[in-house]
Amino acid sequence: MEIVVASGKGGTGKTFVSSNLCLYLERVLHEKVVAVDADVEAPDLLMALGSSIKEVDREEFYGSYIPVIDRSKCLKCGKCVKACEFNAIEMGPEGPVIDRSRCEGLGTCAVVCPVKAIRLQEDKTGDIYASETSYGIIVVTGDLELGKGNSGRLVYRLKRKAYEMGSKIGAKFRVVDAAPGIGCPVVSSIAGSDILIMVTEPTPQSLKGCLRLMKVAESLEVEQVAIVNMYNLNPGFVEKIKRILKVEILGYIPYDVNVIKAYTLTRPLLEYSPNSKASKALINCFNRLKEGWIE
Amino acid sequence: MTVITITGGKGGTGKTVIAINLAFALSNLTGQRILLIDLDVENPCTYTLLGVKPKTVEEIGVFKPSINADLCDKCGKCVESCPAHALFLIPNRGLMLIETLCEGCAMCMYVCPRGAINRDRTIVGWIKEAKSKDIDLVLGELKPGSRKHHEVMEATLNHARKFWKRYKIVVIDTPPGTGKGIYMALEAADLVVAVTEPTSLGLLDFKRLHSLIKSMGKPEVVVVNKYGLPGGIYESMQQFLEEEGLKWFKLHYDRQMLSAYIKGIPVLHCYPNAQSSLDVKLIAREVVSGLKK
Repeated sequence: MEIVVASGKGGTGKTFVSSNLCLYLERVLHEKVVAVDADVEAPDLLMALGSSIKEVDREEFYGSYIPVIDRSKCLKCGKCVKACEFNAIEMGPEGPVIDRSRCEGLGTCAVVCPVKAIRLQEDKTGDIYASETSYGIIVVTGDLELGKGNSGRLVYRLKRKAYEMGSKIGAKFRVVDAAPGIGCPVVSSIAGSDILIMVTEPTPQSLKGCLRLMKVAESLEVEQVAIVNMYNLNPGFVEKIKRILKVEILGYIPYDVNVIKAYTLTRPLLEYSPNSKASKALINCFNRLKEGWIE
Repeated sequence: MTVITITGGKGGTGKTVIAINLAFALSNLTGQRILLIDLDVENPCTYTLLGVKPKTVEEIGVFKPSINADLCDKCGKCVESCPAHALFLIPNRGLMLIETLCEGCAMCMYVCPRGAINRDRTIVGWIKEAKSKDIDLVLGELKPGSRKHHEVMEATLNHARKFWKRYKIVVIDTPPGTGKGIYMALEAADLVVAVTEPTSLGLLDFKRLHSLIKSMGKPEVVVVNKYGLPGGIYESMQQFLEEEGLKWFKLHYDRQMLSAYIKGIPVLHCYPNAQSSLDVKLIAREVVSGLKK
């Protein structure tokens, strides 16, 4: 079963929910779990789960291609310049010049070149690695090279890696901690998952993000449930969230200083402070998830 | 004209709140209207905090194939060459496009030997504008379900570029992250304001962002937001900032800031004398005096 945790707005507590959900599945339900950190531009899940004690797998990720032009063949006809939908090629005095920051690496230029002067070369855009944390949970993380694109393709690869590792160790669950927003990596995170847990806070900004996220999940036909985090910062808004979201709300988590303390020590809250208010609320949320969605 | 990009690595560190409050404070100091560009196209929030309703000024479209079934002889060349695997030949039904997979490269149109694929356009987002007290807003919004967030960011930035020379100060608000979209917003900047928070994850993501800003050689100041948050990490944060020789400011975590945030109003307007408001004004003064140099 693949459970994806996402939020339209950043900083609402995705990694907090994902890391504790992993611990709940392991320690309370005694099920094996592989976690995926799909926030490849700011990967935090490994740290939230107590950091790596052992790297169990690593591979390079070639997410894209770059066109290489053979100047001796090039006729400077400009067909590649015209065909590029991303305006990534300009005609210079020596022939066409590729703007790497705009190139999507899809290769239309190579196809339209009448003399086959363009070939595609694989481009490394990041690393994929799997680590075991001190809680015995395997975390699959992607490290996208700074300033680079193609994060959606990297997320698909991370999920596939997690599936392979999960099959090997007999893990019934995969928990995907998504990036903030609704862009390409988030679409890849949600696609093919069994259930989406949306983490929201009681503010209009977060609610709007949640509604955008629901549209994405609907288009991908993935069922949605929600958790309202830090609900007591604005309790008056909670009714509005219930009314507008119209999805099952697993529970409400209070603002609790233990959450920040647990983060500072990089320990999941359920393990650091199992009797805190926020821990009890989390357990309630996860029990609800178990009753309704986990057979 | 000076472009100030507000960014932060981690989500929820306070980029948008700081962008808006800083824009108001800068307007107050300079007596000029500020252009604010919201590039957080996946969840634009500036307009909520400004209390305005932006109007669409431009639709952003990208290539989408239109299949002429009468001309298609089902040779499969387009299916074979599509790098996104978005085209399928289905027995008895012909050629099908899965639109969510299509990356808009137009390869299919060029490889089709019979001219059965033509250029069509699909909307991936919108550029919107609004005016509020002291601030002119340009924002980009991604259509939910579309993967083209970089395209929407770029189109929004290019739209603003057409007229931003009219302003003395331009403030860009960005989404979380350290990818291609952030790179674009940093490239445009004369000054980067990096916003972080005193938590372990805040510091981890800030380090990542800082190495990107540094590699681009952009002038950078740091705002440690939520300063005073109980249980926060202060020593390791300060140590890192000092090691890197970064100029940094505190933005205190107070009840007024929290209350303003929840109401969706800039703290500068509802609690002008709160510690957090004073902090914002100090940052604005330092930014302006930095610009004069």
